[in-house]
Amino acid sequence: MLISIEGLKVSINHTPILHDVHLSLDKGEICGLLGPNGAGKSTTISAVLGLRAAEAGRIEMFDQQFPDAVSEIEVRQKTGVLPEQGGFYDWMDAIRYLAFFASLYGREIHRKEIQDRLQRVGLDPSNERPIHTFSRGMKQRLGLARALLANPKLVILDEPTNGLDPRGRRDIHDIFLGLAAEGVGILLCTHLLDDVERLCSRVGIIVDGRTVAEGPVDELLRNSGKTNRFRLRLTSPPSASQQSGMGLDASIISHDGEWWIVSIDPGASPDSVWRELFFRGWKITDIQQESGGIEDMYLSLTDRSPT
Amino acid sequence: MNRTVLLARKEAGELMLSLRGLTWLLAVAVALSVFGLLLVSNTELSLLDNAQVVYDMASIVTALGALLALVIGIDTVAGERERGSLVPLLLTPVSRDSILFGKLGGVAIAWIVIYALSLPYLWAVGSTGQNLIEGMVITAVLGSPVVLGFGFLGVALGCWHSSTRGALLTGLVALILSASPLLLGPSLRQSAVGRLFDALNPFSAAVNAYDAVMIDSQPYGLQNSHFLVAVIWLILTVWLARSGFRRVSRTGAAI
Repeated sequence: MLISIEGLKVSINHTPILHDVHLSLDKGEICGLLGPNGAGKSTTISAVLGLRAAEAGRIEMFDQQFPDAVSEIEVRQKTGVLPEQGGFYDWMDAIRYLAFFASLYGREIHRKEIQDRLQRVGLDPSNERPIHTFSRGMKQRLGLARALLANPKLVILDEPTNGLDPRGRRDIHDIFLGLAAEGVGILLCTHLLDDVERLCSRVGIIVDGRTVAEGPVDELLRNSGKTNRFRLRLTSPPSASQQSGMGLDASIISHDGEWWIVSIDPGASPDSVWRELFFRGWKITDIQQESGGIEDMYLSLTDRSPT
Repeated sequence: MNRTVLLARKEAGELMLSLRGLTWLLAVAVALSVFGLLLVSNTELSLLDNAQVVYDMASIVTALGALLALVIGIDTVAGERERGSLVPLLLTPVSRDSILFGKLGGVAIAWIVIYALSLPYLWAVGSTGQNLIEGMVITAVLGSPVVLGFGFLGVALGCWHSSTRGALLTGLVALILSASPLLLGPSLRQSAVGRLFDALNPFSAAVNAYDAVMIDSQPYGLQNSHFLVAVIWLILTVWLARSGFRRVSRTGAAI
């Protein structure tokens, strides 16, 4: 395991912030860390990186007790981090900035390699303008390049797609998926559930400093009992034979003109259901999710009455 | 390259290449020009003798150096924390002490730049007298620990305060209190409290040594007690900065 946390308790200025957090992340996994504002996600990340001391509980990093068996320096050597408030040395240009951080990681990298890394995150490698002239999205990409500088085994990202346009978001998603395929573990702290649905194989949901759900996405959805409901737009209604035998994973709820409401069992993959329906001859032109999925599960778990 | 040196170079680069750093240096140069002009005018009008103007200029260089070192020291931690650039630095595999000493090294480089900047002004006011070299030497020897101490105090205040403004305010009050011997009259300085304050105050140690060497032409060897006060001040501020930085890197730096 790259990260394994059990019963983590952290206080800041004698105020308890984390009461009982547990979380795990293995190689090649992308884990979404979710929760409302102030739930303790950032504090959990800080504890994992040794910026906050744990009062109680157990943290294992790279299969070793942290910070007793594996030091903060060793953890940071293998971990790339993109904090939410990513400040930069605005007077430097991107190449000089990355070269400076590479040196702090003990790596002397050539200009060409830095330019390749800038290109990988979608920045112009020939741009020698100071960082203060960069847009928010460009700074976000530069922060990502910095996080990936030392070829980390673990990447921790706090709102990594903030400020990115849709194409940029898709590019960054592809980078994350590529890293996961190479065996890098990614802890993704975000409020964008689209990102989580597209990228994460497991999630941890923290509410008021406690983990309320943690594990593989499919398993959590199955256990939550929340069915996925979709609206399908069809160019022609399916015949009785096409409607019958849809399989145990999906069922028709109702239809209104060209729109058909279909329910998919928790844990079943919508993609495989769509493939099956196309195969049966359903002429689907549009698919919209009505309810269910990670969003429904998240909303039901984080629903709090005001006290 | 050693990571402490690398960080010190980055801090120095920020002073020499960023708009903020260059503005501070420009402000120091303007202030030195104004004081230099006033002192030269006084010499020309025979209102002050040459030894006195070199002493005054050395004191002004020390005071301005302490002020700038204090501001840079505060900015290097509290300013970076507010701009969000401290956390990425703390997340690198570099020890806390290396980061801290890199930042202290940056303050030291800033003082070297200010001292170099002040040399033409010292020469301008004191070139016609006998004590110019003594003035330059004693400013380097006694002024350095005093100025660096204020820079390191700035680092400590930047660690302990949650805002740059709060740290700056506390630092300026400390600097004004320390520099008060320049403002106190001779009778107040002769009182028991005044003498105790003079004996413990690093700024007093520096200006009293300047007075002894430049005006009274005493040998450097007789300034050991003043030098000791300045060195104790320097060690104390390094200790404060180190304990403050440990705190900021453990509890004060949220992601």
